Amino acid sequence: MEKVWEFYKGGAWVEYFLIVSTVLFIVVAFILYLMIVRSRNSNIRKEKLTIEYTILIEKILFALIFEDTSLAALKENQDFSRLIEDGFFREVLTESVISLHKNYEGIYARKLEQFYKESGLIQDSFKKLRNPNWEIKCKGITEVAEMNITRVFSSILTVSKAQNKTLKITALNACIKLGGVKGITHLTEHPYPIDDWTQVNIISAFKKHDIGDTEGVEFLLESQNTTVVALGLKLIRELKLTQKLPYVAELAARTHNTIIQYEAQNVLKTLNA
Amino acid sequence: MDFFNNEIALFSHVYLILILGYAILLMSSYLILAHLSVRELREYLKKNSFVDYNVLLTSEFAPGLSLIAPAYNESFTIEENVKSLLSLNYNNYEVIVVNDGSKDNSMEILIKTYDLVQTERHIHPQIETKKIKSLYVSRNAAYRKLIVVDKENGGKADALNVGLNIAQNPYVVCIDVDCILDKDSLLKLAKPFLESHGKRIIATGGVVRIANQCIIKNGRLVEVNIPDLMLPRIQVLEYLRAFLLGRMAWGRLDGLLLISGAFGAFDKEIALLAGGYNTKTVGEDMELVVRMRRYMLENKMPYSVHYIPDPLCWTEAPEDFKIFRKQRSRWMRGTIETLSFHKRMFLNPKYKVLGMLSVPYWALFEFLAPGIEFAGIAITIVFIILGLLNWHFFLLLVLFVYFFAVMFSVIALYSEERTYHKYPKQTDFFKLLLAAFIEPLYFHPLSVYAALVGYKEKIRGTKGWGDMTRKGFTKKE
Repeated sequence: MEKVWEFYKGGAWVEYFLIVSTVLFIVVAFILYLMIVRSRNSNIRKEKLTIEYTILIEKILFALIFEDTSLAALKENQDFSRLIEDGFFREVLTESVISLHKNYEGIYARKLEQFYKESGLIQDSFKKLRNPNWEIKCKGITEVAEMNITRVFSSILTVSKAQNKTLKITALNACIKLGGVKGITHLTEHPYPIDDWTQVNIISAFKKHDIGDTEGVEFLLESQNTTVVALGLKLIRELKLTQKLPYVAELAARTHNTIIQYEAQNVLKTLNA
Repeated sequence: MDFFNNEIALFSHVYLILILGYAILLMSSYLILAHLSVRELREYLKKNSFVDYNVLLTSEFAPGLSLIAPAYNESFTIEENVKSLLSLNYNNYEVIVVNDGSKDNSMEILIKTYDLVQTERHIHPQIETKKIKSLYVSRNAAYRKLIVVDKENGGKADALNVGLNIAQNPYVVCIDVDCILDKDSLLKLAKPFLESHGKRIIATGGVVRIANQCIIKNGRLVEVNIPDLMLPRIQVLEYLRAFLLGRMAWGRLDGLLLISGAFGAFDKEIALLAGGYNTKTVGEDMELVVRMRRYMLENKMPYSVHYIPDPLCWTEAPEDFKIFRKQRSRWMRGTIETLSFHKRMFLNPKYKVLGMLSVPYWALFEFLAPGIEFAGIAITIVFIILGLLNWHFFLLLVLFVYFFAVMFSVIALYSEERTYHKYPKQTDFFKLLLAAFIEPLYFHPLSVYAALVGYKEKIRGTKGWGDMTRKGFTKKE
């Protein structure tokens, strides 16, 4: 202890501390500078590759959609058959297929879905779905939902019960796209409050995917969870489901929750007008 | 004589150790906050990449917002700025422009451009303000969101209070009329209000960035540039540090004291219950946040304040020292006034993180730092005169502080690079890097001086903002 005190009193530690710290600051700043340079170079490289890949991908997808070229024929393209093994190329290809799929319906959309399955891109999405990392899982969910892969519905439904809110919303959106009302009826048993943001997303998913069959929305009104009941009421109002009004009237009559009662009466008033 | 020399030597030793201790404490707090900020930022960006803000754009459940834009002598820019406010991506909002007794022709421009006519609206003012002369709405349906209030001059806080009294929506967004807002800024600002988990979200704030030399087209930012002039350029770096490495952490700790007056949203009911903006301070933005939080804590109401790291608002930084000094001295006065109004929160466990951490931090590192630094310089000069300065130690200390400042700026540049990447041009990056090396030698002393002027003004009882002349943005034809 005495030695420590003597060392402190001697003041030599101050000099030592200042020199070491200053050198450390310089080294850290320099390393960060190198990391910035590396990050910038990597971004530039990726941008260049994306531009290069996009030209090829556009050609391939054009041939696939408008010229009825088969995947086997596409694989005769040397560049494509070489690059399809490359992870980054597959990533850019998946993004292009997904974004194109958003803009097409009917036969063109089905051709893209077929390509997505046959080219093995679907396997990449499945891998993402199995990834424990929530953001990768989200990406996988978005991809399979966009490409209408209905066989993963039940596993996405399980994910939609997750605690992570972003993952939950993404999964619920996907469930609604793939299964309509079936994708949200499990919410009747939901133990926690569903916040307004999640509710707005659910309503938007119904509108966006133009869910025609709304059989079962009324079950939400029977939930013990008032936020789920509120969601049911909002859905009925937003989608103008006049056929559900008897359920709303029944809710307004039986509920003891004044807010829900008020909201139910509002829905009745709006839809009866 | 020996006794005297010994005393001086002891004083010198204690002084240097104290200065070193303070520097280490300050640096450690910066690094801890930076670490927390970076973690929070990464988490936010991950989540945000899956957020579709369009769901709010098309939803009738989007929270109603009232934008309050106080204007004083803004005739050069008011037409375009109001137009840009009216064309934001959001459905459920109104724009309240409060002409705070401008001496120029702002009102005439507004009336002519927006085809305004006087209207009668019964207002129940909950906060006392200066007299409202007239209220205007547009005859043109395209501007139906616009309300213009012509009032007697009473300062920014008074104008904002008029807006609070008039606002018809549950949330108010207080902005500087000369700021350039991102098209989606309202969508991002409104989202947290829908995400409360048993806690009431009382305020949300967004990042403000410097727009000097950036190119603006139709009230929108179309090209980001780094200013050539060193003063605004260093402020770009300063804002990056403050917003990316500081406020995000305070948001995470739930101890955020300041939402920039340039762009922030508030729960109107709580803002009114807390008493609205305080007209007796020039730091009305910070003071309102502190008072609203204090109100919630004193009334035991669970609440939260959200902070959005996206660059949503772009503002013009002072380019000459005179304006810069006025701005910074005013900021210091605002800090002193806010801390003084709420001094009972200091180290008071009743106020939780706010009382035990945020307020002491602001007192120690924002309010006292320039004074301590000035005292340090003064004592160093005395030591030099008396021949007592240990030059070796002094030089080491200067290098220690200098390289920490450089490193911290590089951390901010790295965070920016890995997150928003708003400065992709190589020349811009090197300009900022150069600024990091120059800042401690040029900008920092100016900031300390301006803060000391703020002390002096506070002691002398100076009130008001002083003239804040702006150059205006570069416009694309």
